[in-house]
Amino acid sequence: MKMEAMSLSGLDNTKLEALAHDIYSDLVEDACLGLCFEVHRAVKQGYFFLDETDQDSMKDFEIVDQPGVDIFGQVYNQWKNKECVCPNCSRSIAASRFAPHLEKCLGMGRNSSRIANRRIASSNNMSKSESDQEDNDDINDNDWSYGSEKKAKKRKSDKNPNSPRRSKSLKHKNGELNNNVNTDPYKYNYNSGISYETLGPEELRSLLTTQCGVISEHTKKMCTRSLRCPQHTDEQRRTVRVFLPGPSASTLPDVDAVVESDGYDVSDGQALMNRLQWDGSSDISPSDSASSKASTNNSDSKKPKKKKKPSLGLSSSGTGGTGGGTGGGPGTAGSGSSSQGVLSLPSRKKKPKLPAPPTPSIYDDMN
Amino acid sequence: MSKDLQMRAAINQKLIEMGERERLKELLRAKLIECGWKDQLKAHCKDVIKEKGLEHVTVEDLVAEITPKGRGIHRSNLKILVPVLVVHHSYMVSGCVEASLLQQINYYDNIITLLQLSSFISDPH
Repeated sequence: MKMEAMSLSGLDNTKLEALAHDIYSDLVEDACLGLCFEVHRAVKQGYFFLDETDQDSMKDFEIVDQPGVDIFGQVYNQWKNKECVCPNCSRSIAASRFAPHLEKCLGMGRNSSRIANRRIASSNNMSKSESDQEDNDDINDNDWSYGSEKKAKKRKSDKNPNSPRRSKSLKHKNGELNNNVNTDPYKYNYNSGISYETLGPEELRSLLTTQCGVISEHTKKMCTRSLRCPQHTDEQRRTVRVFLPGPSASTLPDVDAVVESDGYDVSDGQALMNRLQWDGSSDISPSDSASSKASTNNSDSKKPKKKKKPSLGLSSSGTGGTGGGTGGGPGTAGSGSSSQGVLSLPSRKKKPKLPAPPTPSIYDDMN
Repeated sequence: MSKDLQMRAAINQKLIEMGERERLKELLRAKLIECGWKDQLKAHCKDVIKEKGLEHVTVEDLVAEITPKGRGIHRSNLKILVPVLVVHHSYMVSGCVEASLLQQINYYDNIITLLQLSSFISDPH
């Protein structure tokens, strides 16, 4: 810049600088004037002092610096130790637990309806007469078939004893003093089992189709867990089904129809699965019609496994109980294997190695 | 002196025509706000207004009070109008703002031509 200035003719540096300064000061003066006009307009229009607050209100919002208090002057855990009185049950509840308690107390909210439904279901299941069962069906209003409704309800109730939620929900129901008396014996029953002596034949049959049913030696009660409960083997279940009722109670035999997988084609297996489904859904009479169909269908491919068919017939009729039992053992194993992948499984023929869980699983899947 | 005034007028006119004056003005305004000059001056305005009373403030009052301060000149120092000295005595406008503006102005080749032009103007005198 300076070099260029030097090259000018007749003009020295200082003059140039002076000129530049003049221009600059003109600009600054313009800026000042602009500001003055702006301020004057603001004053005359009345908005000049708008962005300021007066001293009094400033004092109200001063930052607080005391211990135990936040900068606004509020105490932190003021409401932690407070207790509220519930308008429904007139109990004094801690503030942080008040909302859930109110939900249960008033019977509104998602959990309360769920618990109430469960209780209704359990009370219906516990009742001994048939009419109660029919009431249960009416209440349920499902589109499922007759037996599966009860199964679904019973499954639900079966889950309950094991879950931790049960104890929690019990605690929260303290406000509903009436229900406590009723629910406790129910809970107790669930946990320990059902006494088979008190059940009628229909009840028994329906129970055995959905639950394990094995009678415990200590308490003489039936196990209420699912058909594949790990505490009892299929042998035990079979024994119970043979021992207790007369003609009915033959859920396991349906499983037998599957037979072993040796010499089984995949297509046959699938056909069998379809058949099983059909069998499973028609809970009304698991016996003769189902077994006969299964046996006729099986006759083609199952020459080596003839023993299964008669076992099926036997179990359905209920006479050859022991034979059915022995046949049923490997049969159940075979059914389990076939459900998984058909082919393999010669080893599964052996009784002691029966995997109990898979067998009922097929059956469950059908339903 | 009139030569200088003439020169200044000529230069200003040229700048306006080029549109550069506007640009320089905006640049200066931005820089002044950035360095806080505007807020300082506004605070001074408030004092003046409180002094004079809200209702009776006039533009002239404000201008008379504010402009010298804005340019960095005390009323007592008005006689020191030499631009060079203005630079040194300006306490309101920060040095960097002025320097950058001056740089902007000085970089103009056109100014040189302007000066050449002005010399032509001055010469006949």
